[in-house]
Amino acid sequence: MNAHQSVGIVMIEDDEGHARLIEKNIRRAGILNDIKHFTDGTQALHHLFDAADGPAKAGPALVLLDLNLPDMSGTDILAQIKAEGSPLKRTPVVVLTTTDDKIEIQRCYDLGCNVYITKPVNYESFAQAIRQLGLFLSVIQVPEVEEH
Amino acid sequence: MLTRVSNPFVVSEGRFGRVLVSFMVLGFLALIAAGVAAGLATQRNEEHTGWVNHTYEVELAIGTARRLIEQSEASRRGYLLTDNREYRDAYYRWATALPVALARLRRLTHDNPRQVAALAVLQDEIGALLAQRTRTIALIDAGRIDTAVALFRTEASVKRLATIRNGFGTMAREERRLLAGRDEAQRASVRAFYLILGVAAVILALVALVSLLTVLRYTRDLSRSRDSLRDFNERLEETVTERTADLSRANEEIQRFAYIVSHDLRSPLVNVMGFTAELSAATAPLAELLDKAEAECPQIVGEDARLAVREDLPEAIGFIRTSTQKMDRLINAILKLSREGRRVITPEPIDPGAVVDTIGGSIRHLLDDRGVALSVERPIPPVVTDRVAIEQILSNLIENATKYLQPGRPGEIVVSGEERRGRVILSVADNGRGIDPRDHQRIFDLFRRSGQQDQPGEGIGLAHVRALAYRLGGTIDVDSELGRGSTFRLNLPKIYEVQDIKP
Repeated sequence: MNAHQSVGIVMIEDDEGHARLIEKNIRRAGILNDIKHFTDGTQALHHLFDAADGPAKAGPALVLLDLNLPDMSGTDILAQIKAEGSPLKRTPVVVLTTTDDKIEIQRCYDLGCNVYITKPVNYESFAQAIRQLGLFLSVIQVPEVEEH
Repeated sequence: MLTRVSNPFVVSEGRFGRVLVSFMVLGFLALIAAGVAAGLATQRNEEHTGWVNHTYEVELAIGTARRLIEQSEASRRGYLLTDNREYRDAYYRWATALPVALARLRRLTHDNPRQVAALAVLQDEIGALLAQRTRTIALIDAGRIDTAVALFRTEASVKRLATIRNGFGTMAREERRLLAGRDEAQRASVRAFYLILGVAAVILALVALVSLLTVLRYTRDLSRSRDSLRDFNERLEETVTERTADLSRANEEIQRFAYIVSHDLRSPLVNVMGFTAELSAATAPLAELLDKAEAECPQIVGEDARLAVREDLPEAIGFIRTSTQKMDRLINAILKLSREGRRVITPEPIDPGAVVDTIGGSIRHLLDDRGVALSVERPIPPVVTDRVAIEQILSNLIENATKYLQPGRPGEIVVSGEERRGRVILSVADNGRGIDPRDHQRIFDLFRRSGQQDQPGEGIGLAHVRALAYRLGGTIDVDSELGRGSTFRLNLPKIYEVQDIKP
């Protein structure tokens, strides 16, 4: 692991508004990591696995994943990331979606998702969830900082 | 569409019966006519035989009388020729037998005036003949044979005898003529008998033929209608299977649709809500700025700006918030219903009474707070159905009953059940404020409520209950009177059958 690289955040979210809100709240939580935003699964997968500056080739990352994408289901991306032999197997994935269907949530955890957050309409709890996510991000960031 | 089965066979069954009965009646009439004709013919035949016998008797009597006259004549002549006493005895023998024979002939012919007249003439002749003979015999007895012979020569005995023979011949011919007439009548009656018999036979044959044809046609119709009924039945089954498949496909489509819609509706709502919060957050520094401006430089603060920041913005944001929150609840309700529709039903034996007890335990505080008494009227027949679904139905109904009380009357909820032809009807009866009859159907619709809106809720509970009831193969309805109370009746199959029809 490259000690000089901070954790990059890959946000896969087709809704620009949601992306903006997530970013704002992450920033408010004091997380200043680089956020790369993709609005569709194809580009995101390309970045994750093939891009020179992508997580597979260059350094650790955290994936924020929406399950409803125009070109594929978020669970497909999750499955690919967490698949046996995947270079990103240990990359934490936070699923952020509007679905609070138990079966869907279970399926995501079965596939290896680390955190599952339902996007609530109640904005306060949404902001809180994102901020908690920020805390979580800073927690997983700590070893990186310590390694400096 | 179910095509109405045309029912010609039902109509023709009545007609068929009538036709058959009328043919049978006709056949029986023909038989009776034949029987009567046979009886009459036999009677006529007997009569005729009687008459034939009579004729022969008459002929015999005529013959006897003639023979007696001839024989006595022969005896008289013998006596006259030979003076032999034996001839005399023979004569007397014949002569005494003659009146008896004549009397018999008279008796036999007394009903025929012509014969009677003929016989009367004959008798005169016979009387004269006898008188003459008696004289001859007497003369011979007295030994005056010559006188007797002389008398014999003069007498017209031969002519008289010829007349008598003629008379008897006439009588015999008359009798023959009568017999011929009777024979003719007999033949006519036999002909009539055969005619009637023939007609009856023809009618019977016709009746048999027509009956046979009718029965055959009826049987053919019957088998044809049976075939068409079977075809129809098969088609119906196919149709039902098809329709059920269509329905479950449509149902799934709707559920998927509801799921997707509610899911996708939430996405923009997150934005609306999120950015409303951003707006709300942005008003804080604006308000600060306004305060600062008012304090430091009041002349730059216009009334519009003040209103906008202090009232219009917070008000607008507030409305947006409550509306989006409400919308979120509604979407969640649709989502819940659509999920309910997709949930797998797992039937198991359930005692509804025990379920009510459990519900009563879990909402004990609610019942106590509202002063409501919940009781179960046992026995309640057990059902085989989905536990979660029936728990949700009953708890929704019971909670509703605790919510809508009639003011001033302590609430009473009675749950009862009965079994009726393979179905179990569970009733949840309360003495609450009741439901307007206009709303009895409406309350089961999503987001629809009835009466005074003084209780929190979105109008989801009963819609949910109905969806669950349908899911369990049951129905739900309500019987209610304003101010008196309501009774919700859940009609469930006694044993839930898994619908294995796949679209």
